[in-house]
Amino acid sequence: MTAAEIHTHKHRWWRSRSVQRFMQHRLAIVGMVMLFLLTLACIVGPFLLPYDELYIDLRARFSPPLSGDHYLGTDPLGRDIAARLLMAGRISLLVGFFAMVLSTAIGTVIGVVAGYYGGKVNSALMRFVDAFLAFPSIFLLLALAAFINPSPVMITIIIAITSWMEIARIVEAEVKSLRERDFVMAGRMLGLRNSHIMFRELLPNMVGPIIVAATLTVARAILLEAYISFLGYGIQPPLPSWGNMLNGAQQYLATAPWLAIIPGITITIAVTSFNFIGDGLRDALDVRNDPA
Amino acid sequence: MTKNMNRRQTLAMLGLTGAAGALAPNLFVGPALAAHPEAPTGQIVVGVSQEPTVFNPLMPRIEVDDGVQLSVFDGLVRISPEGEFIPALAAEVPSIENGGLSEDGLNWHFKLRDDVKWHDGEPFTAEDVKFTLELIMDPNFRSWRTTGHELVRDIEVVSPTEIKWRMEEPFAPYMSILVETMMVPKHILEPLEDRNEAPFNQAPVGTGAFKWGSRKAGDHVELTANSDYFGEGPYVERLIFKYIPDLTVLYTQFKSGDIDIISNQYITPDNYAEAKSLAGKEVSVVPSPTVESVFLNNEKPQFQESAVRKAIYAAIDKQTIIDALYYGLPTPSESYLPQQSYYYNPDLPQHDYSPDTANKMLDEAGWERGADGIRAKDGVRLSFSNSTTSGNHLREQAQQFIQQSLGEVGIEMTIENKPPAVMWGEYWTQSQFDSVIVGIVFTTGADADVTVRFASDAIPAQGGRGSNTGQYQNSEVDKLLEEAGRIFDQVKRKEIYGQVQEIIREDLPLLPLFQYATVRGHKEGLKGIEANINTRIDTWNAAQYYWDQ
Amino acid sequence: MAGFLVKRLWQSIILLIIVSMIGFGVLHLTPGGPLSQYALTPGMTQETMDRIAEQMGLNRPLPIQYLDWAWRLLQGDWGTSYRDQQPVLTVIGRHLFATMLLMVSSTVISIGLGTWIGIRGATHRYSTFDYTATVGAMIALSIPTFWFGLVGIYVFSLKLGWLPAGNMYTIGDGSVLDYLHHLILPSIVLALVNIAIWSRYMRTATLDVINQDFVKTARAKGVSERRVLMKHVVGNALLPMITLAGMQLPNLLSGALVTETVFTWPGMGRLFLDSLGYNDYPVVMGLLMFSAILVLLGNLIADLVAASIDPRIRLA
Repeated sequence: MTAAEIHTHKHRWWRSRSVQRFMQHRLAIVGMVMLFLLTLACIVGPFLLPYDELYIDLRARFSPPLSGDHYLGTDPLGRDIAARLLMAGRISLLVGFFAMVLSTAIGTVIGVVAGYYGGKVNSALMRFVDAFLAFPSIFLLLALAAFINPSPVMITIIIAITSWMEIARIVEAEVKSLRERDFVMAGRMLGLRNSHIMFRELLPNMVGPIIVAATLTVARAILLEAYISFLGYGIQPPLPSWGNMLNGAQQYLATAPWLAIIPGITITIAVTSFNFIGDGLRDALDVRNDPA
Repeated sequence: MTKNMNRRQTLAMLGLTGAAGALAPNLFVGPALAAHPEAPTGQIVVGVSQEPTVFNPLMPRIEVDDGVQLSVFDGLVRISPEGEFIPALAAEVPSIENGGLSEDGLNWHFKLRDDVKWHDGEPFTAEDVKFTLELIMDPNFRSWRTTGHELVRDIEVVSPTEIKWRMEEPFAPYMSILVETMMVPKHILEPLEDRNEAPFNQAPVGTGAFKWGSRKAGDHVELTANSDYFGEGPYVERLIFKYIPDLTVLYTQFKSGDIDIISNQYITPDNYAEAKSLAGKEVSVVPSPTVESVFLNNEKPQFQESAVRKAIYAAIDKQTIIDALYYGLPTPSESYLPQQSYYYNPDLPQHDYSPDTANKMLDEAGWERGADGIRAKDGVRLSFSNSTTSGNHLREQAQQFIQQSLGEVGIEMTIENKPPAVMWGEYWTQSQFDSVIVGIVFTTGADADVTVRFASDAIPAQGGRGSNTGQYQNSEVDKLLEEAGRIFDQVKRKEIYGQVQEIIREDLPLLPLFQYATVRGHKEGLKGIEANINTRIDTWNAAQYYWDQ
Repeated sequence: MAGFLVKRLWQSIILLIIVSMIGFGVLHLTPGGPLSQYALTPGMTQETMDRIAEQMGLNRPLPIQYLDWAWRLLQGDWGTSYRDQQPVLTVIGRHLFATMLLMVSSTVISIGLGTWIGIRGATHRYSTFDYTATVGAMIALSIPTFWFGLVGIYVFSLKLGWLPAGNMYTIGDGSVLDYLHHLILPSIVLALVNIAIWSRYMRTATLDVINQDFVKTARAKGVSERRVLMKHVVGNALLPMITLAGMQLPNLLSGALVTETVFTWPGMGRLFLDSLGYNDYPVVMGLLMFSAILVLLGNLIADLVAASIDPRIRLA
């Protein structure tokens, strides 16, 4: 058997067990269902609602929820909150998802390289990671947001730049522990290129922890988007995002509390779903949970 | 009206504002005399939403700094709500009749009061005035504005109560600038090497009605009554400026009675209806000199044609913005000047909201709608960005409303809001924007001189020295502004500034939306409060405040 | 041990240099500047702005500005705030108290409540309480802090009128009770996430102890369960508790920032946001270095504590 075959085999083996365990994790299933429904609503919902998320109708401003066709009420410009919420969901979820993809990619590459080469490369890269961790993340976010036009794409990149360090640390630790294992040694003896060993041999063995960390990163990214948009540095109106729907809501807390309550609950539901799923994945992918 | 003859001439001579000036009751014999206490009693807490941090009155400052400084310091003259100059540290306002001013406006001669003491007991003299005017021009000192002062030459202290100087060229707005020039003590600042970092800057010594008390950074500034004040008042023991950075909380604290006066930036328009009905509070709407406009960068290719600017203007539904978003408080405006200004031109053409007119104008000018519904002509898309400070919610709402209105006539306006430090940095000063929504006070004090805002040689992005960030250029306006700056005849100046307003209304380098009105409030029983559009802050006359007993 | 500390110190210094360079660069390359707040002042001209920029040394090349700043810092001069004309350390010091007050009270709340929930969850494993606590902790970790603050203000200040909507004290009052009254809502909001983390931690820690042989033995000997638990669990949890508190240090800035904004709390987080908004470079840099030092200190404490608990971890 080649090294590759060994771990593909291993891969399949833990997979089935883990899936079983995951399916038994009640919270994880709840999370999956909530997320599915939320995503579905964001995809389909806007087509079913009578209003467009950008249509301004000043006569209907501050309508409370359940008034007429405005199921969730309207905002200070008379725009339909339900429509905005669902369109915002598309943006916020996409920002969260792609920020995760990007930060996982950055974190994994840096982690693998640092862990595999060790020595000077490792300490240089890991000091870099430490330096990023030593920044209050809000500083980097706000300073970077001042640089660019905060479009969804740029916000995604900014969030990714500030949240890859965790994954880099996890991956680096994993690689360090795997580095001296047989299949890596075998790969080296076979004269495989370093990049091949790192990304074809080592990486598949770390899919578990990476997936867990990535899931939690989505949750974190959604929260970060909400933070910076709440502070007014995030995604710009009229494009809705869950965060910028909350920007300014404090001002209307006494007169139109639904402006704050509805997007907040939605963010909490989305983030909770990802955290539930992450928790389930952690339990499911944790080898120690296997019966001996 | 015999006495008024003199005064009118004086006004004319100095280029004063305030049409009602001649008929106004004297500020200091007004209602304030009703029943103020013999000795200063009680305290007043003034809530402000920005933190006062600059206490050296010659350094760059913002409105709330003025709030503190106007209570601690005095200028040679002050200005009444009607735009009339009133002597403060000066014994009288110089004029041709009293010999204070030469016919050509070049020689100024001030007589000073002889009964003024600094808060540390030292007497105030003409030496302090000389020192102040020189310090402003000191290249090592971080002074905030040198306009006017840079023309002063040959300052001569005649006696402790007399000072005179010569102006390099006649400059009519200088009296308005002197109003905003507070005097600082020579005996404290002169011996210091570094006046930028002087302890004085954090514990100022002035001549004003209130002495410096203490400051808790990030929280409040406390002033105490100056019992040796040369003018009327003060009537309260302590004047406290409490910093509350959030307008909602500021209002809540006003409602709950934690603050006695809600100052800059006052009650937000959405709370006006409720505020009016609060028991035990007096709430009023006061016009502010700030004019809100869609400020265009006139060098951008999209805005080159007059038809485009007019069409954009016609497509904006001003009245709805005012009524629905600003609760009907501001007044629609066609000029950059406040309507209370003596120089205001009331005969400008009225804005008429009409998408049809806008469409027609653009069609006729050859701007055709493309496949995406956005108009274009000769390869230029009628699309531009609009920016303002992020976090100004009402303005952001107006912005989105305008965006929709413009979209309806085939104009694309994208929104790019920025944090304040970025927004008003080189993005603004070097004219990097397409368009901006901004509230600007175009005047300097009460004077209508707008050379720094509209003259062709005042464009920073083109190496100019002013703040014409809209890059507006019109040689006729240049000529008129230069002329008006040199003459002292008030009537003539009014005429010229009227013309300038007409040309600017026609050219539309900026699209005026409205003149702001602020909703001010204070507790019932607090007396002496008077609005003054010629100052930047409401607490300009805190010396007159007192609690009704 | 000494070798470890020396190495750690060396690494920390390098780290601080990197952090300061990145921070300084990002901050100064950001468009805009500290003078922007005067751009709209009536009568302000470009000439004046240029002169002030010159006087403040803002026109010099960036590396020179950095070296100047760093050199002064080495001599103990943190610079002077542009907005305040006060020494940076004075400015930070004035805001430190407010934040410490908030931090200490929220840490007390989170450790107290977290410990109780965690131990109870472990001793009543799989009970309704345990399950609720587990789910509750997950949700608590998912709620945006500022939004929780808004809801708190809505319910307790606007609707019930029990608690103030913001600020640290009432002007003219400022008694201890008044401070406490203002402290309740923000410190609970700030504690929420840590209650969740801490209760999860305590639950695991307690379960570990319960399953150990000596506890079973002790129980068999008839020693009351409560006493065993108290002695061992709390004993074992003490050091991690210090670790957690140590890890809280860096949060002085970022953790409290949003909460301080929502509750208009005059602390470091708000100072940071304000200073950043005005590009008050010296203060932002000061706060950045301050927070970086706290992060390093927190990490060090965590490592030392971990090593002292678990002899297998060797400090090298």
